Amino acid sequence: MTLSKLVIKNITRRRGRFVFTLMGITIGIASFVTFLSMGGSLKSEINRESAALGANLVVTPIGSCAYEQVSILTGEILPSNITMSEVAKIRSIQGVNAVPVLTEKSAINNKPVSLNGIDVVQMMKFKGWRVAQGSYFSGHDDPSLVVGSAAAELFKLAPGSTVTVRGQQLTVRGVLQETGGRDDLTVFLSLPQAQRLYNTGDTVSYVAVKVDDLKNLEGYIQTIRDATNLGVVSDKQMLKSVLSIVGTVNITLQMIAAVSVLAAAFGIVNTMLTATYERKREIGILQALGARQRTIFTIFLLESGFYGILGGAAGVVLGLLVSLTAAPYISQNAFTSFVKGSGGGLIDLKTVAGSILFSALVAVAAGVYPAWRAARLSPVEAISYE
Amino acid sequence: MSNVIIKASDLAKSYETGAVTTHALRGVSLEIEKGSFTAIVGPSGHGKSTLMHLLGGLDRPSAGSVFIEGTDLRGLDNSGLARLRGEKIGFVFQFFNLLQGLSAKENIEVAAMLAGVPEKDQGARALALLAQVGLADKAGSKPSQLSGGQQQRVAIARALVNDPALLLMDEPTGNLDSASEAEVLEILRKLHVQGKTVVVVTHNNEIAQKAEQVICVRDGRIAA
Ligand SMILES: Nc1ncnc2c1ncn2[C@@H]1O[C@H](COP(=O)(O)OP(=O)(O)OP(=O)(O)O)[C@@H](O)[C@H]1O
Ligand SMILES: [Mg+2]
Repeated sequence: MTLSKLVIKNITRRRGRFVFTLMGITIGIASFVTFLSMGGSLKSEINRESAALGANLVVTPIGSCAYEQVSILTGEILPSNITMSEVAKIRSIQGVNAVPVLTEKSAINNKPVSLNGIDVVQMMKFKGWRVAQGSYFSGHDDPSLVVGSAAAELFKLAPGSTVTVRGQQLTVRGVLQETGGRDDLTVFLSLPQAQRLYNTGDTVSYVAVKVDDLKNLEGYIQTIRDATNLGVVSDKQMLKSVLSIVGTVNITLQMIAAVSVLAAAFGIVNTMLTATYERKREIGILQALGARQRTIFTIFLLESGFYGILGGAAGVVLGLLVSLTAAPYISQNAFTSFVKGSGGGLIDLKTVAGSILFSALVAVAAGVYPAWRAARLSPVEAISYE
Repeated sequence: MSNVIIKASDLAKSYETGAVTTHALRGVSLEIEKGSFTAIVGPSGHGKSTLMHLLGGLDRPSAGSVFIEGTDLRGLDNSGLARLRGEKIGFVFQFFNLLQGLSAKENIEVAAMLAGVPEKDQGARALALLAQVGLADKAGSKPSQLSGGQQQRVAIARALVNDPALLLMDEPTGNLDSASEAEVLEILRKLHVQGKTVVVVTHNNEIAQKAEQVICVRDGRIAA
């Protein structure tokens, strides 16, 4: 017999209570891990999208805030308030390569899909896409579609397939090679075609800008602002403000998780206090056999710590399963759409070990009061208990 | 003097329960010799268990002193008392002596663990002690699968795990039928022959008659 064997025998004696207490901490840690992994993949996805966007500057209608900037990265619809004459003004600035984009949404087989109207020639130069199947747009006003690799796979599209957009049958002309960004899930059409289908006149949603001289970014921003009365942000500013929103969301999620871990901790306190009452006599017997207060304290603390380690391990497994299986089904909005397709693959060994350690620490902390109560019992008081 | 294992002087113990003070012991002095067989008798509620707890360092007196093998228990803190109990004393109580979730063998192994016996030696030690009380075949039985007498014998075996000089038993045959009682009695006799100091709180005349010394506690005092 060792202390830990004795502890395991004690803890598993009341099967039902053991299982339910364990479930509490398991669920708490699972939600913690789920939110952590989702938040983590959210961040890495944003970084990836921002890199895939490939712009140094993004021009949006004046007064647009971080939420609109998130939408650029997620492919959500933006109000289209920028006119082509303004785009032309940006283009006329020296050392600037500007590409207007109109973001819209459509559905294929009832699944939502992002549609981007693009300046097909400029965008190709801008992104350096490669075509995997079929061919790219033939010209400025080509009426057909080019689709990203993931979208092609998802909707089973190949060159020659037709897609109905706003009642209009359009033919897929080409499929792009994988880019690793949002472009993979996007359907592209030429800007004039998109503007016609969606009746947006000659407006676009945003303008992606690459500059020749990166050192003079501030100068370009000022020049564009002076020329157009539009809002301009650098990719770094955009990333910063988007990440700060995500950070707020993450903190909120983690607080929810913390509350469930806290509730589980009280479950442990309750279970352990009940155990000290039930085992009062046994505590007395152990003391008569020579167990010191310190030993009694250790036995009870180990018991709650054991709940923490076991519940933590189970919670990590459950949390990973949930984030892997549930993430793709989460309804799409600006924030959660990032998580789509990225899975919860961001959990590393450090997070696993950290979560289990966290769980063990919470459980041990929860066990301190009951263990102290148990250790403080005088032997005679414990023995006389019936 | 060196032959005295327990020496108690003017022991008093009172319990405060709300406004009521119960004087369980009102000045008890006694000496118990090493290797002797002592019975503590007396009417119910007159302080026998209280006395046994004080003699074994399970509780502290309100006044007076206890010396065990020359050690003044007043000089020991809680963990010192625990160490003393673990090293020198084996306790057997009247009821529910065993840890309920554990088998007879495991009960003894826990005591062995507390006495510092290495894990690999605990099993053999437990089986030898169970054999000593005639329960080698019940090693795997849980307390609920044992009779009252068998439970008491396991408790005695467990009390012997640290090879204590002193065995303190509170009515070890109190709730047993006469057959079980005879078995337990026989074990006590053997232990006495082996040289253990045995102190038994009892209502049982047979035990009292076998004892070398009988201490009668009445109303918290020693009666003649
Ligand atoms: N923890 C306690 N709190 C208050 N009073 C107590 C406590 N323990 C014992 N007493 C009282 O002290 C007195 C002596 O009790 P004790 O248990 O020593 O009697 P006893 O001689 O062992 O009786 P029995 O033969 O029934 O076991 C009794 O009046 C009892 O009610
Ligand atoms: Mg009694």
